[in-house]
Parts: sequence; C-alpha cells; structure tokens
Amino acid sequence: MAQTLDSVSAIERQLAELRLGDGGSRLRTSVMTHIAWVPEEWVEAAEDVLAGLAERHPSRTIVLFPQSHGDGLEGEVDAESFAMTEGLTICTDTIRIRLHGTSAEHPTSVVEPLLISDLPVFLRWRGLPPFGEPAFEELIGVADRLIVDTTEWPGLPKPYARMAGIFERVAVSDIAWARTSRWRSMLASLWPAIGKVERIKVTGTEAQAQLLAGWLRSRLEKSIALQHEPSNKLVGVELDGEPAPFPPGDPPIPADLLSDELDKLSRDPVYEAAVLATV
Amino acid sequence: MALAEDQRLANPLLEGLQLTRRPEPCAMVIFGASGDLTKRKLFPALYSLAYRQLLPEKFGIVGVARTEETDDDFRERMKAAVQEFGRDDFRDDVWKLLADGMHYVAGTAEDGDDVFVHIDQTLTEFDRDRGTDGNRVYYLAVPPPAFETIVKGIGKHRSKQGWTRLIVEKPFGHDLQSAQELNTLLHKHFDESEIFRIDHYLGKETVQNMLALRFANGIFEPIWNRQFIDHIQITVAETIGIEGRADYYEHAGAIRDIFQNHLLQLIALTAMEPPIDFAADSVRNEKVKVLKSIHTPGPKHVVRGQYGRGYIEGQEVPGYREEQGVDPNSMTETFIAAKLFVDNWRWADTPIYIRAGKRLARRETTIAIEFKRAPHPPFEELAAEGLRPNVLLIHIQPDEGVSLAIGAKVPGQGMQIRTVHMDFLYGGAFRTDLPEAYERLLVDCMRGDASLFTREDEVIEQWQLVDAIVAFWRRDRPSFPNYAAGTWGPPSSDELLRRDGRAWRRH
Repeated sequence: MAQTLDSVSAIERQLAELRLGDGGSRLRTSVMTHIAWVPEEWVEAAEDVLAGLAERHPSRTIVLFPQSHGDGLEGEVDAESFAMTEGLTICTDTIRIRLHGTSAEHPTSVVEPLLISDLPVFLRWRGLPPFGEPAFEELIGVADRLIVDTTEWPGLPKPYARMAGIFERVAVSDIAWARTSRWRSMLASLWPAIGKVERIKVTGTEAQAQLLAGWLRSRLEKSIALQHEPSNKLVGVELDGEPAPFPPGDPPIPADLLSDELDKLSRDPVYEAAVLATV
Repeated sequence: MALAEDQRLANPLLEGLQLTRRPEPCAMVIFGASGDLTKRKLFPALYSLAYRQLLPEKFGIVGVARTEETDDDFRERMKAAVQEFGRDDFRDDVWKLLADGMHYVAGTAEDGDDVFVHIDQTLTEFDRDRGTDGNRVYYLAVPPPAFETIVKGIGKHRSKQGWTRLIVEKPFGHDLQSAQELNTLLHKHFDESEIFRIDHYLGKETVQNMLALRFANGIFEPIWNRQFIDHIQITVAETIGIEGRADYYEHAGAIRDIFQNHLLQLIALTAMEPPIDFAADSVRNEKVKVLKSIHTPGPKHVVRGQYGRGYIEGQEVPGYREEQGVDPNSMTETFIAAKLFVDNWRWADTPIYIRAGKRLARRETTIAIEFKRAPHPPFEELAAEGLRPNVLLIHIQPDEGVSLAIGAKVPGQGMQIRTVHMDFLYGGAFRTDLPEAYERLLVDCMRGDASLFTREDEVIEQWQLVDAIVAFWRRDRPSFPNYAAGTWGPPSSDELLRRDGRAWRRH
C-alpha cells in the first residue's frame, strides 16, 4: 500500500525516490502526462480503463478524484513496471490524488508542478464537463488534448453546443466518435448513392446517433433528419428506411479506443464539424 | 606540522586519491553566524564536506554574530541545523571533527575593533593549536549595511602569513553605483584575486554541466549559433512567495533577486565562446564578453509583474501586497520577462527570452535551446502536424538532466510523425546524490579556484543592464497586481513572444 502524501512537494519527493530506486535494467520512460478527472461515480470504470493503458502509452498518469467535503489533498504514488522484450522493463508512475475543498476547485495548482516537462498533456474527463467552471477551464488550459466520451453525457445534443465553444482552445477527442469509426467507413463505401439520403435511423447510444447524423450533415452539406433507437451499443443504421450493411470485424475495446486517441496530437476537423452539425 | 602545498603536490601517494581535492589547512570565519544562510546552507555544506573528507585536515571555524552565546550554544545550534537541513546521515564522529574546531564570537558594529581583536586571538590560537597556517576564509553572510565595518576590520587585522580570501554573498550592491562603491571598499583591503563573490547557481552541478555539454561534445558546438538556433528560453520559476523576507525583497524585486545574478550568469554560460582552458580567468573573460554584448532591451521588450491572490498546491495564498511587511501599495515586481539579444557574430538576431518570478505555476529552472525547423520536410502536411522543432532542454532543477526533442515516426501504416524525447537524467546515469552548490563553492574557495565566482567586471556589466531597465521602469506605473499566484505571470509576458510568432514552453 502506497503511503499517503499530503502535499505536492511530498509527492515530488516520492517520485524522485522512485526514480533513484530503479535498477539499471528498468527504463523509466514517458511519452506524455495523462491526467484523468474522475468524479466519485466514475471511479470503478476509470480504474478498469487505466489498467490496460500504461503498457501501450508509458506515461505519468495523474488521476484526480474530486471530493465533496474536507480540505487539502491526499496523494499516493505507485510505480508500475512492464516487461518488454529482452529483459528490458519499462516503468511508469501513477499518481492518485484525492482533492478536497479549494484544491478541487483549483486542481491546476496541484497538477502543474507534477507534469513531465515538455511532454504533451492529455486530459481525460469522465462524465459531462462543467463548461465554464474554474476547475475545468483551468485544466483545459494546461492540456494539449481533452478526451471525453460523450456517451457518458446526459441531455444530448445540447451539451455539444457548449463543447464547440472550446475547440479553439484545446484539441478534443471523443471516444463515442471513435466507436463510430467502423460504421463511418462502411457508410463511406456507399458513396455516391448515400449523397441523396434524407433520413437516418441509428440504433445505438444517443451520442453515436447524434455524431453519425452530424457527420453526414457536415460532410454532405445538407440537412438530414435523425431518428434514434436507444441501445447501449451501435448495432444498426438505416438510410431512408433501408438497413445499411453491418460493418465487418469486432468493435474495439475501451482501452484500445482511449489508446488510439492518445496517439493523436492535432485537432480533428472532421469531428469538430460533426459536433457543430449535431445542433 | 602541516604540509606545504608544493610538498603536498609532490607526495606520490596522494596521486589518484580523492584527497587531491582536499584544500590546504585554513580557518573560516563566518559573519552572520546566527542567520538563516549559516543554518540552512553553510553548516549543512560544511558537515557534508567533513563527511566526505573534503575539508582541510587542519581546519577551524569562528562564528560571529550579534547574539550573545557560548561556544557550546553555537555548537548545539549548528548541530540541530545539520540534523534538520543536512543531506547526509548524522554521525557523531563526523560532527565531532567539526565541533572541536568551532568557536563563537559575539559582537556588533558598535563594539568597534574589540570584536576583530577577539576574532584575531581565536584565529591565532587556531594557527597554534590546529595548524591552520595563517590561511583565512572570511564569509560575509550579513546584510550589505554591515559590510563596511567588517571589511575594514578584517583588512586591519589581516593575517601576516598564509593567504586571506573573502566570500561575499549577494546582494552585491543594489545598483551600479553601490556595486562600484562596494568594489572600491573591498579593493582598499583586498586584491581582486582574494575576493570571491558567490552566486550559488554557479555551484549547481547542472549549471556546470552546461560547460561539459557544450565543450566536451563535438556535436553541439558547430550548431550552437544563429544559423541553427531559432531562439533560447530561460525560465527560473519559483512557486514560493517571499517567505518572510519582505525587507529584502521590497528593495530587490525580481530584477535584483534573480535577473541581475542568476539569470544573466545562465545566459553568459549558454552564449559564451569556448574558453581556452578552465582556469578561472579564461572562463570569466568569455562570460564577461557575453555580458558586454547584451544590449539594453527597449521598454517594450521587458515585462514586469506582481502576483495577486491565487492558488498554490490547491490552497489560496495571499497577494504580494498582502504579505507581511510589504507596502500595501508596493510597486516591487515579483516577475520579470525580457527579450534580450547578444550582439556578436554567433548570436546576432537570435532572441534570448528570459522569465523569472515568484508564485508561478511550478518550480523549475530550465534552459531551452530551440533549433530552427527542418528546412523542407518532405512529408504530407498532415503527417507532421504533431511535430515541433528540435529542442535541447537543460533542466537545472528539479529532475536535473538534459533532454532532446526529436521527430520520430509513429509505428504503423503511413507516415505519421511526432515529437519524442531522448533523456539524460542525472539520477539515472550517475547513481549518486548531487552535491549542494555551497559544498562545491566552499571547497573551490579554500582551494583558491575562482572559476565559479563572479568577477568585478561581470558584476559591473550586470548592474549596467539592470540600471538601464530600472531607469525606464521609473517612468510608468503598471497596474499591479497583474497576475494571479499559481499562473505563469502577466498576459503581457505571453504577448512578448506572441508578437514574434513564438510561445513560452508551457511546462
């Protein structure tokens, strides 16, 4: 069990000790700092996804758990190592911090000293971000890329309009969007016939339905009506009442989806246009 | 009987032993022995040196301060300081080596010559009983107003045999005139070769590594110039506030606290020509040439700031004007950023952007050398979107080391390129604790090596630049505070680079 640390400097000291404690064959390496903002209701789901992540994207991971009561912060630092080929082991740091009181309102002042110098910063936000609130606005200020999963958002498509407002400030990845990629490839193969479509019916999550409709509207530059049939995953698309073919292959697993988004550094104009066309 | 230096050098048994860095016998007198510096830095450093057998075999310390206390009180206080601030395990046998040679002299300027007579008696006893040979290191760890009395007193009671060296702590003056006056005062009693102006930044391993990096490697020096380097960024950022030092800081501000000494020295080491050797004067000759070639930046190229309330480590902290002892209308700057040019063949038109401040978002001191972009990347436009120019980053603190950002292909189909880092971390390559700057500098002074100390002409050049900047600051009153604690300074600092189509490294 890692020791509980009550200040950023204590966390920094612990990180430094871990680094000095490594043997010669263990390579401490990072390609990014990955910040995850995990409100209480998302704790379990977040740990599941993180489990598969560090192996593919050696990173310093800072998981922030905002708490509704108390004061100050409680941090823990873990080093995790993964065997690579030929006896080489890579290790990464995971810092878990419970933020209370003002530190939950101003998380950047806790996170910024812990970022790895000069590496890109990815911010994974579980649930609907509180657009306009200091905690969120500050954190996107230090992030190079915000990763959301709009499947987790209630009240769609309205929040998409709020998100469109931050595109100029931070690049955004949406795991819900990534989950539609097999279907988008399949729909693209229906060109040019699909150019005349006027109605689309999507059986899947609200986010997938909205994003697919937004994508077709923005790419085809025309209005297209959306009918949504709720389902917890994307299982069917109908174009003007005709079922579209099912795309080949298996749907990607959550850790893969997050991992793929972490390879990207620049803005995704196609996604942004799709979001703008949802509302 | 102590060995004289020439006999020592001739001793064939010393060859290859660490003892070759061990200085000659000497006594050290610390003025300001009850102060913070003595407690936090000097004694922990002396202890670590004793721990590694790097102090002279024959050594003694005289602490001088206002407080009335006995030798034993002094020893107890310093023992506690070493236990609290030292980096090594506390060992009684090591401490005893130091403590046996420790004496305390209480005195103030009002006591006149008596204090110096008393010090002199103690030193004469050291020479007789401990074999310190008349060699003296005087350490002025006192505020500048006390300098004059002390320098005169030491001058009057100079040892007739052996050598005398004087270590002077910053601030070395508060403007050009006062620095010149101080130099004149020192030169009345000491030769320039006896004066060691300390800038502890120069004692840091990573700062010295800049010299190794540049001059021990064939690959950097050919590209270390305006043809290949787009610009340089130097950041000296602290998260702490003024830590109760309002008296000092109100008069100093960021420009005198950091810019005048540490920052300009970092620029000098980064930009200087290769010295012919590492003798003190060869290195300092090159540094002073750089300082001379920095031209005064125009008012538009210097930004100052003062912090207001904000958040550090999640806790609200007061603004500068609310700090204890600070004038509620204070116009003292706690942040400075500037665009500087070194006007010579190597650096003409290559901007050096510097920033330093208190209560910034993170603690870091880095020198970033940003190279020009590849002239014609033959890739598709989108492929290289994630690609930034090559940057050589020298981390002075924390995470001491060097990293080079290069573009690499992302594995998979197609040609996607992004920036990756090659890192050298001190903690990884050399599995040892880095010595504290003061350890290195104290030994250097005892050995008479002034390479890492600031020479008179460097100080003069530094102040000339500061005075010119301060002169145009007098003409306006910016609206302070202009940045929140825990941020990267005022918006005008970002604007300084944005005008040139560049941006500060974010972290």
